[in-house]
Amino acid sequence: MGAHVHDEPRKPKVKHDGAKKHVIAFIASLVLTALAFAAVAFEAIPVGFTVPFIVGLAFVQALFQLFFWMHMDQKGHEFARISIFAGLTFILIAIIVFVFWVWW
Amino acid sequence: MSAHASHAPKRSGIADWLTTVDHKKIGILYLIAGGIFFLAGGLEALLIRLQLMYPELQVVGAKTFNELITMHGTTMIFLAAMPVIFALMNAIVPLQIGARDVAFPFVNALGFWLFFFGGVLINTSWFLGGAPDAGWTSYATLALNQYSGFGIDFYVLGLQIAGLGTLIGGINFLVTIINMRAPGMTFMRMPLFTWASFVTSGLILFAFPAITVGLVLLMFDRLFGAAFFNPDAGGNVVIWQHLFWIFGHPEVYILILPAFGIISEVVSTFSRKRLFGYSSMVFATALIGFLGFMVWAHHMFTTGMGPIANTLFGLATMLIAVPTGIKIFNWLLTMWGGQIRFPTANLFAVGFIPTFTIGGMTGVMLAVPPADYQYHDSYFVVAHFHYVIVGGLVFGLFAGLYYWWPKMFGKMLNETLGKWNFWTFFIGFHLTFFPQHFLGLMGMPRRVFTYLAGQGLELGNFISTIGVFGMTIGTILFLVNAYVSAKSSKRAPADPWDGRTLEWSIPSPPPEYNFAQTPLVRGLDALWVEKMAGNKGMTYAEPLGSIHMPNGSFLPFIMSLGLFIAGYGFMYHNYVVVGIGMVITFGCMLMRSLKDDPGYHIEPDEIEEKGVKA
Amino acid sequence: MATHHVNAVLPDEPEKATLEGKNKILGFWLFLGGETVLFGSLFATFIALRDQTNGGPTSQQLFDMPLVALATLLLLTSSLTSVFAVLALHKKDLKKMQAWMTVTVILGLGFLALEIYEFMHYVHMGHKMTSGAFGSAFYTLVGFHGAHVAFGILWILTVQLQTVKKGLTVVTAPKFYVASLYWHFIDVVWVFIFTVVYLMGMIGGKVG
Repeated sequence: MGAHVHDEPRKPKVKHDGAKKHVIAFIASLVLTALAFAAVAFEAIPVGFTVPFIVGLAFVQALFQLFFWMHMDQKGHEFARISIFAGLTFILIAIIVFVFWVWW
Repeated sequence: MSAHASHAPKRSGIADWLTTVDHKKIGILYLIAGGIFFLAGGLEALLIRLQLMYPELQVVGAKTFNELITMHGTTMIFLAAMPVIFALMNAIVPLQIGARDVAFPFVNALGFWLFFFGGVLINTSWFLGGAPDAGWTSYATLALNQYSGFGIDFYVLGLQIAGLGTLIGGINFLVTIINMRAPGMTFMRMPLFTWASFVTSGLILFAFPAITVGLVLLMFDRLFGAAFFNPDAGGNVVIWQHLFWIFGHPEVYILILPAFGIISEVVSTFSRKRLFGYSSMVFATALIGFLGFMVWAHHMFTTGMGPIANTLFGLATMLIAVPTGIKIFNWLLTMWGGQIRFPTANLFAVGFIPTFTIGGMTGVMLAVPPADYQYHDSYFVVAHFHYVIVGGLVFGLFAGLYYWWPKMFGKMLNETLGKWNFWTFFIGFHLTFFPQHFLGLMGMPRRVFTYLAGQGLELGNFISTIGVFGMTIGTILFLVNAYVSAKSSKRAPADPWDGRTLEWSIPSPPPEYNFAQTPLVRGLDALWVEKMAGNKGMTYAEPLGSIHMPNGSFLPFIMSLGLFIAGYGFMYHNYVVVGIGMVITFGCMLMRSLKDDPGYHIEPDEIEEKGVKA
Repeated sequence: MATHHVNAVLPDEPEKATLEGKNKILGFWLFLGGETVLFGSLFATFIALRDQTNGGPTSQQLFDMPLVALATLLLLTSSLTSVFAVLALHKKDLKKMQAWMTVTVILGLGFLALEIYEFMHYVHMGHKMTSGAFGSAFYTLVGFHGAHVAFGILWILTVQLQTVKKGLTVVTAPKFYVASLYWHFIDVVWVFIFTVVYLMGMIGGKVG
């Protein structure tokens, strides 16, 4: 299908960042993971606060990976963002309902 | 570009239909398959109403009645309404955006065959030990092994297969609409049917995974002894209800939004006016789609979620009436001052508006939780959702079919038969469902196979059953009309209705490449803009050139057949059969990945031979 | 066109050079939006059922933190190596890309082996799919993820093998890119699994 090179005017060339940015994201992920493990293992923070804390860390880490590793920060990812965040919004509402309104 | 034409091996007859990746042919396949399931679901409805014609009848009996209501609902929603919507989306959306094809022709074909085999699988239950009988909602614990028969397994597996097909179909249309629009076709110049298809596909994308999870959990419970919905082992039946309705409510909008889109096109064309409030229509469509995800628990007010949840979900539900109201008024204002014509398509569209409004109003009534405690599981609910789904969606689909039939098949439908079709169906519909509001208010519960005499329920039920004959005659007249049109030798013109959008700028039916030259879109109602500028047709964005087309393939058919076979293996706990089916499916996936499809080219001289005015 | 493209004429971002490639990547992102809802539904179910052990072992009795930490490290690293593979793809360095993808697959296999060991261990302790709602929810959520890992491994291998034959072209490049997106997504899901299933499972006992 090489014949079908799309001939719309080329967008300004996306600058390909080197490995550095990705290694930083990796280290950040490791640190965030370690923090979460530590928070649970050593009860470093008040127990009642642990769950929101580690879930918050998970979201931060997920965003790191989505934006850096999956290039969601780059141009041309508008619909990727819409898709992921719309799915996330809808299902978070569902999860909240499951937490509060699944009676026993 | 390759210098010489590399022709695909042309298949003909049935092999062509089994291998086609042409969206127009897939649209026709969807229409035929969906139509057959529609007839099956209609037959089930007829039997249901015959059973309820008089008190204490024994036409089919209680057990069969349960199977009939379950299969009627399941068939009509998943196997009739969805595919006919997909039929119109396939046939029209690429034409409306000026595209030569959909984004993923192969995936498109795969989506059809998955739906088809899923539907066949569910319906074989009639011959293999009884159809599913736990209602189309299939609530646990009723749907677990202890309380329900083998039929539920067919429901669970068939819907998973069909649902997968719908999901990939939705993704295909999203990508098609985002990436394949002709030059100048900005989002805010897209015809409303395309917009509705876009939002509907988005809803499919986010809603179907939830039902897939629900079905998988139910399957694990039934086949592998898991305990999701088994209260004895810590399971929770409300989880099924949530998962089902997280899908189920968006599904309602998946069904109705395309109908809104069709009505917008038809009303505007036959009023010879631009659609009133185009931007607000787009906004309302998107808003309905968004809010559609926030309201599912209004199906569960009586589950005992408590006043806070009920209030929130009730309010969110009532909010949807606002964008819907915007749409109703915009249609009315489109007609206001227009040169209105009433061919059958517009009759259905104009019949849709008041009918759907009634259904919408009973919807707001049901959204009030305290009142819902009274209406819940009564015939009032049955009347409500038939007003929106039959009076809304089916009227919309009929309008769309009469409107786009010439574009799909190259022949016109007969208008006299069409008018008979409309009036019998319209009167029959209201006779059937209007009395059911009052039956519900008088206390007749849903899903009962009979009722006693002397409770004031006889007259309503009798009228309701009579009405069904009207709808039956209407449906038969439509089939006769389709037959007559197929037999007639008169070809439809390219633009029979003095249309406004791109699909009317090309021949009926369109050639396989749709547009010999990609059109240049210069405004909303692209064709109308050119007509008003005194041009004979569209302006083109490119010179006549070689057109690349994908080859047909047997793989989608075989891949779906593999899952179909595996489905039976799961139900009968025969893991050899599961293995065979899975090997077929994954083998096909592997083949698809390894073997690139070079496609073939149609050269300019061939295009000119076919008589395209360049 | 299965003709071999010489790397020198390969466009800058070969995965997005054709309309087919663009469609594939966009379609895949949309699919991931659907997957978000799929896994979200499984998470919701798990959260609602995680205390219903039905007399079986609780998460505090079951989970082994070092094992989970090791699995997390493997998957996280594999995600990084698949980023390196995409960087190599952008530099049109086929050899390097294949090498990084191979590392990714090996790490994925390691993760899968740990998970299978873990599941067998749990079943041995009486924690089964059929032992109660907690068991059903646990194996379905974590198992679904494991199945995604297994499928991802097979997928990457398929793409790698055909690239050996076809070379890096505008046809194979999008396949690599999309497979790596899938792999990252699996890792993102795992972030939530170790948080919600394992870490929150460990807290449960300390609170109650």
